[in-house]
Amino acid sequence: MPVVLGFEGSANKIGVGVVRDGEVLANPRRTYVTPPGTGFLPGDTARHHRAVILDLLQEALTEAGLTSQDIDCIAYTKVSKILVPISVLLGPGMGAPLASVAVVARTVAQLWNKPLLGVNHCIGHIEMGRLITGATSPTVLYVSGGNTQVIAYSEHRYRIFGETIDIAVGNCLDRFARVLKISNDPSPGYNIEQMAKQGKKLVELPYTVKGMDVSFSGILSFIEDVAERMLSTGECTPEDLCFSLQETVFAMLVEITERAMAHCGSQEALIVGGVGCNVRLQEMMETMCQERGAQLFATDERFCIDNGAMIAQAGWEMFQAGHRTPLSESGITQRYRTDEVEVTWRD
Amino acid sequence: MQAPQDDAGAGGTGDRAEAQGGSRNPGDSGSAGSSEGKGSLSGPGHLSDPRGLEGRSGCDGQGAHGGPESQSGPAREGAVGEVAVATPQCEQAAHAPGSRGDAGPMARGSRSRLLEFTLIVPFQSPLEADMAHRSLAPDTQRQPGVVQKEFTVNGSTLTIRWTAEDPVLFRISINSFLDRLSLVVRNIQRLGLPASLKQGRGKGPES
Repeated sequence: MPVVLGFEGSANKIGVGVVRDGEVLANPRRTYVTPPGTGFLPGDTARHHRAVILDLLQEALTEAGLTSQDIDCIAYTKVSKILVPISVLLGPGMGAPLASVAVVARTVAQLWNKPLLGVNHCIGHIEMGRLITGATSPTVLYVSGGNTQVIAYSEHRYRIFGETIDIAVGNCLDRFARVLKISNDPSPGYNIEQMAKQGKKLVELPYTVKGMDVSFSGILSFIEDVAERMLSTGECTPEDLCFSLQETVFAMLVEITERAMAHCGSQEALIVGGVGCNVRLQEMMETMCQERGAQLFATDERFCIDNGAMIAQAGWEMFQAGHRTPLSESGITQRYRTDEVEVTWRD
Repeated sequence: MQAPQDDAGAGGTGDRAEAQGGSRNPGDSGSAGSSEGKGSLSGPGHLSDPRGLEGRSGCDGQGAHGGPESQSGPAREGAVGEVAVATPQCEQAAHAPGSRGDAGPMARGSRSRLLEFTLIVPFQSPLEADMAHRSLAPDTQRQPGVVQKEFTVNGSTLTIRWTAEDPVLFRISINSFLDRLSLVVRNIQRLGLPASLKQGRGKGPES
């Protein structure tokens, strides 16, 4: 009955989770929220995480009712494929937050004399999705601020069937929220979703599905232009724009997921990642699944949004399968894709 | 180099670092060179201006035992950072590239300027120094070759030596390292060394 402690902090959420045999014993989390009109930068995010991570660790143990002796393995996000267009001057990508969390994982592993396990962030999402929903072999739509991929499992790999060729759908939504100066609390996507519910007019936006893939940066530029123009003439409201953006990008996601499901003959779809919290996306995916006689699975915000327990869960699977990460090889990386991990814990 | 009063602080002393306290985390006492990981490191007290380094230190390049004991607040358990900076333009510092032991890509004849920074961190025990080393060393540069970091553990002391050509990346690397170092120290303090490790039994997880 191994107990795994997991650390996650690759974007603006920092979480520490504890999992024992498929049971989530603790999953505290904090989010670094920036003012409306701004996004989170690596250095500031890292500083936020460093300030709270040791408290979160304590909270997790307390919530789980455990001590360090009870923990069998320390898992942490080693690999994140978060692509953030940040200039070289600020340091590439979100390495700073990731590294800050990694040093704590290493230190804790040494202090408590436990094995260390580096986990791929995306696989964390998938494994938690599978655990919570019970989906057996779904086509996975992984959508967040940093990632947009359609994934299916085959022969020990999570194969990427389709993905964004530029920015993630969540990134598109978040950056649009900045243009409208929508609040980032609790998250820009959530606030766009609420505003979209009040939208009445569908503004036509580019629809950019490219085969199995999608593209969002053109839509973003377009809607940023449109916003400026149409809002000043009163031709539409911000709510209309939120509604239109969601309808467009979500329809694109449904299309590429359906294409992958058709290709695999899949009867299950699973949505993971922060954008998966969006009820409208879930509705649209549900409609598509019903039309195909397939079943849709989704998790709630505790597990959709980045969290420590998902890393612990993936770590648990890997630990059971015998994976270990020696300290000397525990450096963080943003280079490995989801499909480069050997998934030895599934048939 | 004693407490620099001008802006071009090479991270200076504990006093100075304390003064830059600002948004420091609780429990961080002044580590050599305050660090705001953001990357736009232009405030005073940051390792801001390499030109300032060379302007000031002239040829006392080697010696920078500028860290008075005041740096060791209760939270640090005596982990004090000292800063030694070698100025590339200076004659003495010309030894520094040589002391790396290789002719390497350093163009001595040209005007290309190699920036160097050495941080010496004494810990309370060899165990802690080693632990910190293993926690901090694995995250290598995303652009290998641009900024070089060399770690050495000698007894209870962890020494890190940076060399780089690009002053901005140099600065970012050092400052973000200091943030992580501070975190590791807090981490060790907060969780405490278990008795079994203190006695030197058990080497910890596989390295």
